[in-house]
This record gives sequence, structure tokens and C-alpha cells, in this order.
Amino acid sequence: MSFLTEAPRAPSVRRTRTCREVALVFRIPWSHALRGSLLAVVGLASGLGCAPALQAQTAREIIDRVDRLLRGESSRGVVEMQITTEHWSRALQMEVWSLGTEFSLVRVSSPPREAGMATLKAGEEVWNYLPRVDRTIKVPPSLMMGAWMGSHFTNDDLVKESRIVDDYDIEISFEGMRDGVEVWEFDLTPRPEAPVVWGGIEWQVRKADLMPTWVRYYDEDGDLVRTMTFSDFRVMGGRLVPADMLVVPRDKPDESTRLIYHDLEFDIAVDEDFFSLRNLRARGR
Amino acid sequence: MASDRVWWRVAWRNLWRNRGRTIITASALAFGYLSAVVMVGLTDGMSAELIENGTGLLTGQIQIHGRDYLPERNMHRTVAGYDGTDVAALLGRVEAHPDVAAAAPRLYGGGLVSAGDRTEAGLLLGIDPDREPRVSTLLAHLDRGRIPRAGAYELIVGREMARQLEIDVGDEVVLVAPAADGSTGNDLYTLVGVLDTGTPGVDASYAVLPLSDLQYLMAMDEGRIHEVALNVSRPWDTRAIAASLQQYLAGGGPEVEVRSWTEIRPELSEAVALMDSMNFIIVIIIFGMAVFGVSNTMIIATFERQKEFAVIRALGTRRLSIGRTVVYEGVALGLLALVGGALITGPVMVWWHNSPPDLSAFFSGFTWSGSLWRPILRVEYSVDAPIISAVALFFTSIFAAVYPAWQATRVPPADALADR
Repeated sequence: MSFLTEAPRAPSVRRTRTCREVALVFRIPWSHALRGSLLAVVGLASGLGCAPALQAQTAREIIDRVDRLLRGESSRGVVEMQITTEHWSRALQMEVWSLGTEFSLVRVSSPPREAGMATLKAGEEVWNYLPRVDRTIKVPPSLMMGAWMGSHFTNDDLVKESRIVDDYDIEISFEGMRDGVEVWEFDLTPRPEAPVVWGGIEWQVRKADLMPTWVRYYDEDGDLVRTMTFSDFRVMGGRLVPADMLVVPRDKPDESTRLIYHDLEFDIAVDEDFFSLRNLRARGR
Repeated sequence: MASDRVWWRVAWRNLWRNRGRTIITASALAFGYLSAVVMVGLTDGMSAELIENGTGLLTGQIQIHGRDYLPERNMHRTVAGYDGTDVAALLGRVEAHPDVAAAAPRLYGGGLVSAGDRTEAGLLLGIDPDREPRVSTLLAHLDRGRIPRAGAYELIVGREMARQLEIDVGDEVVLVAPAADGSTGNDLYTLVGVLDTGTPGVDASYAVLPLSDLQYLMAMDEGRIHEVALNVSRPWDTRAIAASLQQYLAGGGPEVEVRSWTEIRPELSEAVALMDSMNFIIVIIIFGMAVFGVSNTMIIATFERQKEFAVIRALGTRRLSIGRTVVYEGVALGLLALVGGALITGPVMVWWHNSPPDLSAFFSGFTWSGSLWRPILRVEYSVDAPIISAVALFFTSIFAAVYPAWQATRVPPADALADR
């Protein structure tokens, strides 16, 4: 029966690619980008090697594959975060490490007032290290929806790492040309019991290289909450990635947070010990 | 009108025909008067308690904010905007207003309060330790410890927060707060005191530190404050004073918005309005019951006088005059009861007001509309309650006499005289 129900709304995407193309395709850091997680963006899959030609059948399969591929090994990146708000604008330089989806660490290197500040995500917990007072503090559940370092990301964005295909029903809502580029657009609707904060998500993905171009997040009333736009696709650490991500909240269109990747490498030598509280403090000094 | 005076005299004399009955009936009315005044005094006392604890603890009676600060409480919207203002000059100007008793500046922030491996979200309140006690009772609620000193990295927190963080006086506390320039302020402080206000919202989430220390944490200049809270000399007239202050401050100085506590704490204002409406219900119930009691007595009294009414009717008295004398009797009874009621109510109110029964031993306080209510049955004097109750009593005695009066006019002279 699934043949009858799924086939019409999910057109098949049969395609054959070269080995090299597929390698690029499979290393897209988008699932996590979708969740607005800068940490997860670098949490890319590794060790993928040369996959067989893409035989994705449905929207669900496309996304499931990419999502699984992104549950990667380890990474390290140098990121600039440019935050613009109604009242101030500033840029933070930071270094980001990740290990799988469980662990990530962000350490701010500039500006001086915040240099050394670090955020550790280990499982469901988020810890901050404050070099000025040499203390680590755990972010309480009540503040998980609070802004991270004044940006338009929330602490919760750093933590939520459940699989997209487990939490959302996925359909292709559009397939064809947009602004001269062949794209797919996907509609993601959360399943009834899924522990997610969004009422719905829309993605636009370029067909040619499976790079995401934008993601729109909707609340439970179906109103647009924020838009994430990807650009500057380039090869870093041997993979094609969007080096520029821009988040714009719908209610404050003049505000934004832009992430620019200056450097990115994969399969680095880190273990879980690297993401420990002890290390969070020790390396901060 | 000469005949009218006669009917008054008849009514008055008739009142004393059965002295015991009259005194008992008048006592019932007098006691009703006492009950009404005391009950209203009690609800007024409860209102006063809510207002005093609700505004006295933190709100103050009037608050001044920068433009557009409320209702969002955006931290960037300080008085006079980003540049801030000369706080001392502003306070001086405000206190120069004839109705303002005292003023205190405040700064608010939100952030994390952390100690050891425990962290809570907290509301950071920056105060002037010298001025604040003149406006609010917040600092008087210190359970232990002392008031923080400026520049010494000292703070106090609510009792519940101290319990959650497992800290006590002398322990170190980390504050993390988003600063005005977008950075993340963080510093290490010493807990020097613990507040026990009895208001859960305050005890669980407030961290209080000197204004200048919070400004430093939030990367704000000394001219930046969110609020000036004030006490006024005529608390019952805060609305009018707020309006006058708004005009007064419009002439020069930063653009500000002045609000009375009724606007800042609408829920409290509504709670008080609800209690006021209860007063009305109390008066209606008490005198509603009295109407039937007095009416009953007067019906019996008129039945006793059936023959008398029959005789004067037979002598040519008009029905209206007979009805009138019965109503006059009711009015006379009412006046008598009022005098008696006033005589017993006065001393009771004075005694109750000065030594309200404290039931703290049996009940603990509770909060209503964000304001603490202590189990102390205080009564407040009011001008309205005795007057409204007196009017209600007066009308009660008239209403109670209407039916007996109508009955009296229906007495058929021949039948009554013939005992039929």
C-alpha cells in the first residue's frame, strides 16, 4: 500500500552520478544547519568514501540519507559570527569542535571582553565557561530558549539533535526552476508526538549539487518565525559546504546573525575526554 | 402640617408602649449597623493590606520610566535612551514636587545566578541602598545578613533562590547577564544577605545588588536607569499625583512616562475593586435580613393596635395618616437604632483598628494578585462605610414599616371594633 500512498506525492529522483559528485553530495552539512545549529554544521559525516550512485526514491529517503550521513565523526572549524540587532552589532571570532552529535565545544577568541568564553554541549546539557571568574555554569532548562551569546540562535538550537526523519513527515512541495536553478522544495511537518519546537519547516535544495539554499521555520500557528539563507558554497576540508549562513528573525527583519566559516577540517583527533567539563576549564585558562 | 407633628408624636409614644420590644428591635438594627461597618472595615483592611504589601514591597506608589520601556521592559530603553540621564538631577527634580515623599532609582536585568554546580535564572535588580528603604520595604525584609555595599561585589538574593542554589551568607555567586553592548557580562560576587519577603515571585527569582555594580555588569553608564520608584505623601490620591507629576516633568529634562500603581499593577487594582464590590454585597445582605425582622415586629405591633386604628378611622382619620404614623414609627425606630449603633460601633472600630487579632499562629499568609496577605484581621476606618450603612439602616426601617403601614390602613373599622 505504501506504493500507492507514497508514490504520487513523492516523485522519484533517480539519477546517476560520478563517484566524485556523490562524495560532495553526501557531505552536505545541512540537516543541522536546518536546526540553526552552528555547532552541528561542522558536525559532518566523515569516512563516507565513495558512495554508490544516488538512488534516492523519495523525499523522505533523500533527507534520511543526508541526515544520517551528517551524524558524523569529528570536525574543527574557525567561524565568525556577525550579530546585528536593533541596539548593537558585533562580530565574534570563535573556534568550534564537534564529535558526533553528542558533543560540541565553542570557544570565543575575540573580542577581548569575551575571549576565552566557551560553551560545551554534552548530550542534553549545555555548560558555559567564564574565564573572567574562572567558573563553569550549567544553563538551566528554563533558559534553553534564551539567546546564545546575544545571537539569534538559542541554547536549545545547540542541543536538539534528534533525527529529522523521526520527527517530521516530509513531502516534496515543489520541483522545478526557481530563479534559473533546478530545485526541490520540501515540506516538513512534525509528527504528533515529536519533541520539536517548530510547527513546520520548509527547505529549498539545489538539484545540481544538493546544496540547501534556504530554510524557513514556522511556529505552531503556521507563521514564519525565522529564515536561514545559505550562500558562498565552497570546498573546505575536502567537502562542499555553504560557508555563509544568515539567520533573520521574521519579527525583526533588521536583525540578523551571520555565520561565516573561515576554516573547516574533518576527522580530527579528538575523543570524548576533549569535551569534558575539566577540559572546558583547563583549556580556558 | 400641625397634624403631621401629631402623627410624629403618636409614632414616638407608640414606640415606647412596649419598651422591651422596641429596644430589642433597635438593638438588632444597631447590631446590623455594627456588623456592616466592621465587615466593610475588614475588607478595607484586606485591601489596604494588599495595596501596602503589593506596592510597598517593591512597586512603590508611582513609577517613572523612559519612553516605551513598558510593557516590554526592553533593557535598552533606559530613561532618556542610550545616553542615559543625570540621575541625581532627575531624582532632585522629582523630589522637589510637593506631593513626592521619596524617590529611588532602579535598574533591571535578567541573567543567570550560579553557585557551585547549581544555576538559576534570576531577575537582577540594581538599587541605591540609601534611597531604596525610603520607597520600598524590600530591604527591610532581610532574613539574615546585611544590605550590599556599592563597589564591593556584594549581592543579596531571595530565600527560595538561596535554597535552590544551596548558598548562604558569605558564599560566592556568579552572575551572567547580557550586557547593553551585546557582550555577556559576568562577575563573581559575595552573598551578604538573604531576603524573606513572603512573596514567592520575589523570594525565588530576585538578586539585588547596588545600582552601580549592576550597571558595570551590564556595560551601562552611570546615567542609565530603567525606573524611578516613588512614595507620595497622599497615597490614596496616587492617580492624580501621577498625572500632575507627568505634567511637572514634561517641562524640561528627559522625556518620561509616569504611572501610578493602579496602572503598573492592574491585577492588584482589580483585586481591590473586587473587594470594594464585596462591601456592597455585605451591606445588602445584612440589612436585607434586618428588613424582614423589623417588618415582622412592626406587623405584630400594628395587629395589637387594630382597635386603636379602627377607632381613629371611625372618628374620621384618613387612611394615609394612619399609614404615615406607622412609617414614622419605623423612621423613629431607625434613628434610635442608628444612635445606638453609632455608640457601640465607634469604640469597637477603634479597639479593632488598634489591636487587630493576629491569626498568624493558626494560618499562614497567602499571596493574591502577587501581593502578600498576612492573616491579621485588621480593620480600616473609612468615611463611606458608616454613611452608607447609616443610609441603608434608615431605608431598612422605612421599608420594614411599609407593609405594616399598608396593613394598618386596611383595617375595616366596624369589623375590628366588633371583634370580627
